[in-house]
Amino acid sequence: MRLLVKNIRYPLSFFLFLGLLVWVLRVMPIENKHRVIPEFVLGERIDYNRDIRPIVNNKCIACHGGVKKSGGFSLLFEDEALAVNESGERAIVPGNVWKSELIKRIKHEDPEYRMPLESDPLSEEEIELFTKWINQGATWDDHWAYKAPLPQEVPSAGSGWAINDIDRFVVQKLEEKNLRPNPLSDTYSLIRRLSLDLTGLPPTLEAVQSFSEDGSADAYERLVDRLLASPAYGERWAAMWMDLARYADSKGYEADRPRKIWKYRDWLIRAFNDNMPYDRFITEQLAGDLLPNPTDENYIATAFHRNTMNNDEGGTDNEEFRVAAVLDRVNTTWTVVQGTTMECVQCHSHPYDPIRHEDYYRSLAFFNQTADADIPSEAPVLVEFKSEEDQQKLQKIQTWVTDVAAGNQASAADYFTELIRLGEPKLHPHYFEQMDRGIPVRGTATFKVDPKIHSITRQLPFSGEDRMMFKVRVEGEAGAIRFRLDSLQGREVAAWDVRAKTKTRFDESRKKQVSYSVSEVLSIPLESLQGTHDLYLVWEGPDGKESTCIFEWVMLHHSLPGKDRAGYKEMEQTFYELSNSEKEKETTPVMVSLPEQYRRETRIFEKGAWMVPGEPVSAGVPAIWNPFDEGYSQDRLGFSEWLFSPDNPLTARVMVNRLWEQLFGRGLVSSLEDFGSQGFAPTHPELLDWLALRFSRDLNWDIKRLLKEIVLSATYRQSSHFKNPQEDLDPLNEWLSRGPRLRLTAEQVRDQALAVSGLLSDKMYGPSVMPEQPEGIWQVVYSGDQWRTSKGEDKHRRSLYTFWRRTSPYPSIIAFDAPSREFCLPKRIATNTPLQALVTLNDPVYLEAAEAMGRNVLANATSNDERLALLYSQATGRGISEEKLSDLQVLLEQSRAYFDTQPEAVCQLVGEEDKELAVYTVVANAVMNLDEFLMKS
Amino acid sequence: MSKRISLADEQRFRYLQSKTRRHFLKQCTTGLGALALGGMMGCQRSPGLEASGQKVESLLRQVPHFAPKAKRIIYLHMAGAPSQLELFDYKPELAKLDGKDCPQSLLEGKKFAFIQGIPKMLGPQAVFRPRGESGMMVSDNLPHFSTIVDDVTLIKTMHTDEFNHAPAQLLLQTGSPRLGRPSMGSWVTYGLGSENEDLPGFMVLVSGGNTPDAGKSVWGSGFLPSVYQGVQCRSEGDPVLYVTNPSGMDGSLRKQTIDAINRINEKEYQEFGDPETLTRISQYEMAYRMQTSVPEVMDIKDEPAYIHEMYGTEPGKTSFANNCLLARRLIEKGVRFVQLFDWGWDMHGVAERESLDKGLTIKCKPVDQAMTALVKDLKQRGLLDETLVVWGGEFGRTPMQENRGGREWPYKGRDHHTEAFPIWMAGGGVKGGFTLGETDEIGYYGIKDKVHVHDLQASILHLMGMDHEKFTYFAQGRDFRLTDVSGKVVHKLFA
Repeated sequence: MRLLVKNIRYPLSFFLFLGLLVWVLRVMPIENKHRVIPEFVLGERIDYNRDIRPIVNNKCIACHGGVKKSGGFSLLFEDEALAVNESGERAIVPGNVWKSELIKRIKHEDPEYRMPLESDPLSEEEIELFTKWINQGATWDDHWAYKAPLPQEVPSAGSGWAINDIDRFVVQKLEEKNLRPNPLSDTYSLIRRLSLDLTGLPPTLEAVQSFSEDGSADAYERLVDRLLASPAYGERWAAMWMDLARYADSKGYEADRPRKIWKYRDWLIRAFNDNMPYDRFITEQLAGDLLPNPTDENYIATAFHRNTMNNDEGGTDNEEFRVAAVLDRVNTTWTVVQGTTMECVQCHSHPYDPIRHEDYYRSLAFFNQTADADIPSEAPVLVEFKSEEDQQKLQKIQTWVTDVAAGNQASAADYFTELIRLGEPKLHPHYFEQMDRGIPVRGTATFKVDPKIHSITRQLPFSGEDRMMFKVRVEGEAGAIRFRLDSLQGREVAAWDVRAKTKTRFDESRKKQVSYSVSEVLSIPLESLQGTHDLYLVWEGPDGKESTCIFEWVMLHHSLPGKDRAGYKEMEQTFYELSNSEKEKETTPVMVSLPEQYRRETRIFEKGAWMVPGEPVSAGVPAIWNPFDEGYSQDRLGFSEWLFSPDNPLTARVMVNRLWEQLFGRGLVSSLEDFGSQGFAPTHPELLDWLALRFSRDLNWDIKRLLKEIVLSATYRQSSHFKNPQEDLDPLNEWLSRGPRLRLTAEQVRDQALAVSGLLSDKMYGPSVMPEQPEGIWQVVYSGDQWRTSKGEDKHRRSLYTFWRRTSPYPSIIAFDAPSREFCLPKRIATNTPLQALVTLNDPVYLEAAEAMGRNVLANATSNDERLALLYSQATGRGISEEKLSDLQVLLEQSRAYFDTQPEAVCQLVGEEDKELAVYTVVANAVMNLDEFLMKS
Repeated sequence: MSKRISLADEQRFRYLQSKTRRHFLKQCTTGLGALALGGMMGCQRSPGLEASGQKVESLLRQVPHFAPKAKRIIYLHMAGAPSQLELFDYKPELAKLDGKDCPQSLLEGKKFAFIQGIPKMLGPQAVFRPRGESGMMVSDNLPHFSTIVDDVTLIKTMHTDEFNHAPAQLLLQTGSPRLGRPSMGSWVTYGLGSENEDLPGFMVLVSGGNTPDAGKSVWGSGFLPSVYQGVQCRSEGDPVLYVTNPSGMDGSLRKQTIDAINRINEKEYQEFGDPETLTRISQYEMAYRMQTSVPEVMDIKDEPAYIHEMYGTEPGKTSFANNCLLARRLIEKGVRFVQLFDWGWDMHGVAERESLDKGLTIKCKPVDQAMTALVKDLKQRGLLDETLVVWGGEFGRTPMQENRGGREWPYKGRDHHTEAFPIWMAGGGVKGGFTLGETDEIGYYGIKDKVHVHDLQASILHLMGMDHEKFTYFAQGRDFRLTDVSGKVVHKLFA
């Protein structure tokens, strides 16, 4: 017996001892003990992201984060969290609970000391979690979205239902949640869903018929291919991207004057239709001008960031609104490509995510070096000469330069082509001080030189330019402008005898021709200089004869080569003519980088205020992302390359999530705009990473192929019937237990009405159009601009071609939740309002469509029932049920009775004495307001 | 965290609402926006929601935060910024300086929109007298208003950060000088809903021939759902866009059409079970009701003659006077927030119409009469106690004469001025015959009781029963509020 006890006692006490040891090791306050003690001894691992971050974000970070850093303590970065605070204590000492001030403070009995201050204390469980976490070594972990996606093994789930790998990820989650997917959708719903999703247009009745009759195994896949290849595909996806690019046909702010930037919209359509890979797509938009030998298309892509607003209001500070535009470029870029709320960091470090205040300005430094400014002309614009004569002149100059220039002929020809077509770097009025009776006044839209006022531009860098070009308007007759160096009496480096260019016009009130002065672009010789100097523009002239010179810009440049050759004068004349050509040309605002010597210094704005510049910063990215190392150039092109580095954690995830949201109405990360720790966690993290890697690696950023894989999945193709609400565990369809059932977008609602009634024009591209809109919508101050309804088929173009005025957008589009496009909008909300009902019921555009439909069914069917059935099928792409048919029959009879008693109403409604047309117009109007018409099932 | 409403939560909420929709539609008397989103506020909470637990509980904003003093707001915004020195801010010292060069100290470090070089001081271009029992100094430009000063609180020391119209109007109406934030009216209707099921909760009326400088964004809903944006009522054409049936279709046929649509939609609901379809049915019903209620409320023909005389209204025209009368009618119907914009107050003095000695007097005449009539009319109907009327521009005007382009102009005008401008309020829990704040001898700076634009917004929300710091909306990664990151409630204003 004793032996037995003895034999047992040893192992027992051994285990007891071991248990005690483990317990002691576990709770023993030794700093960094987790580095030496094996993990199993420390107990079940506390996961920072799962267990600690939610508590921190909800209860601590408002005072101890990027905005406030109370007591010098912040939980935003690991190094800050572990540092010594103002009190001299350390809040977190990994492994040592006793020394960790944080634990003391969350457990403190005195509410004046207890954290969180002035709130309920943390719960027992929360305190326990913090304690265990610190005890285990306070292992920090980055938020999931800042870690690059990892390869995922495709689950084996879903046999019998799954069509491709996407489904296997989805089914696995469904099984975890005890949910079952729906069966596949019927062919009618499917083709309509797919057509609207891929092309933004409903299928034609013929397409529906041939698809429903096509029994072959690959019928659906061929349908997908056909739709992806349709030109309408590019229009549909461009419409989506235009919200992100805040595309509009006006400049915004007070006068909100028109802006010609539609070539960018056309670029988008072509890029999508040509299936430009996503990396190229983004790179061209952010930095097309910096690509080697940029083409016109490359330049026009950069109009992406020229969609920022421009404030032409009188008396505004040009630099203030240039800065506002550049800030917007930073915010938009981070929102669109990285799903990151960088705008939070303009004024202070990010409240929740590990992004420092200076990181905002490091981003800004990428975008702060372009030549554009907040000026009415919107320079730089890319000029496209439309007249043959102008084109020949440009050709002539190019040929001359190539013939004459020794050595690098191509770059010399490029130099002059760019000088004529882009004209940079211009010195705008806000670079000039006008000295008016001793008080310096900055110019805004123009600056002046006259007998009382001289103008100065300070610290102008010269690099050997031997000519100066300027745009000037002269009022008056005599005098000369002297360009002097460094002082009023300084050395004269150029001079110009004032000469007014005038035109005449017939004055109605005075009944005679009157003359008025106009602007002229001139180029004069300049002494070739190096280094920086102040340049003075001084008027000189005879007494009694005065003139005022009003300058719009000044530019230094090099003269055409070949001065000693015959024909040089003629070539200079050609150059002059081209610079002043009034023949037709198209202009598009684009990005142009400033030459080295003109670059701006980027500084932090203290608390985000542009008037309070702080420390200078260089271009870079937040440390938590993949490093921006020396391999990247410190410009927009380098930044674009960095975005597409295989290590970038967000680029691919954000785009696949965006495409997913467009198809399912909800992203795998439902906060498309925020992948940070305050956004929503992905419902299907494994699928998100799998799709991200598939897109970026296997498919080489091929958007069409990615879309194809998604729409081929059973997940996409399942029916959208809701399950019995009592049994439905997935009311929001987060787990994808049914197919998407969504309202059409604003553009699609209108396009569909035009399409099914046969009115829709398939004309693509070109200047924006003005379809019918009610009178009196445009009442914008200081602007005589008017809505002039387009003629012919331009009235019936797809909605993305509609002229988009920011302060007064097309009203029926706005009613369906389209934004005003002042800023980037990552996601539209689909509301359901009575104002929408009023649009589709009463807007003349919808009445016109109803009438066209009525006319159509009257011509193509004979009996009432056939006509009603055809009407319904044309609108919805499916057959009508008996019950719904009888509802339409009732309306048909009611409206017949109505027009019988009020025969005069017939002509009022349809403009002709055709009662049946009026009757069918009423019914078509009803059909085009049905839920099944406005939704895709 | 508890106040945070994300889109997903909203959707979840909407779904839960749909389960109890029938109950809901019967009980809820909130307005357009509330209904469209499933009536998140202002209604009785339905049993279905109680049962659905914590998650939904946390979605219900605790609005109002305390007992409101005002239920409705009429905001009269004089776009262009009227001159305080010719209307409300009596400055005899400035008259003595008239024509003298402006001292350097007032120019240094300042930015003006148009003033260049050294401008001259400009004395008041109007005669002031003490009015009412309170003795409030008001100029002869406002004879009607002078009779109601004892019902009015005047703030002389408003100040703003923006000296250009569009940004200043945005700052005043949305709390931010940049576009993209919800307007005050959107915030208020988002919080409180409407009291009328047949009319939108936030309606906008525009006069003066132009929309305000900042465009329709000053009544936009920003990141709030679009149902909260102001609905513009128009005197010509459709009173609300698309509210009128096409010609040849009368109300009876429209009713039959909507009935057919809704019958078919019910069958669609039977098939798919999507709660959104039920919402659509109720929205079509409301659209139909709006088709009657909007033209009714917008038609002022049947108002008695004495009312037309009092306001100076002429049916069928677009005028500030008509809009004031419409505002009263909308308020009577339970509309929560009525916003008037009257354009044409930007008196720079570059034309006679823009001059302080002539143009302003002409501009004031109808406005003075109508705004006074509005306050009196509300009072005689017993509506003033619960209706807050606010009047003012987006900034003030300089004590210096504008010298645009460095030259002197034949007309008297003033440039934009951010440091001091007036706003008056009446009814809805503010004091009567009370003046808050003092400006210096020339009306350049506020020297006592300065009120920032954000303070005004905080105070207005307070009167509506809302704590401006707690009333937030989660968007783009953070909580937003009307007053951005500042604003103090000015308790001195309250009765």
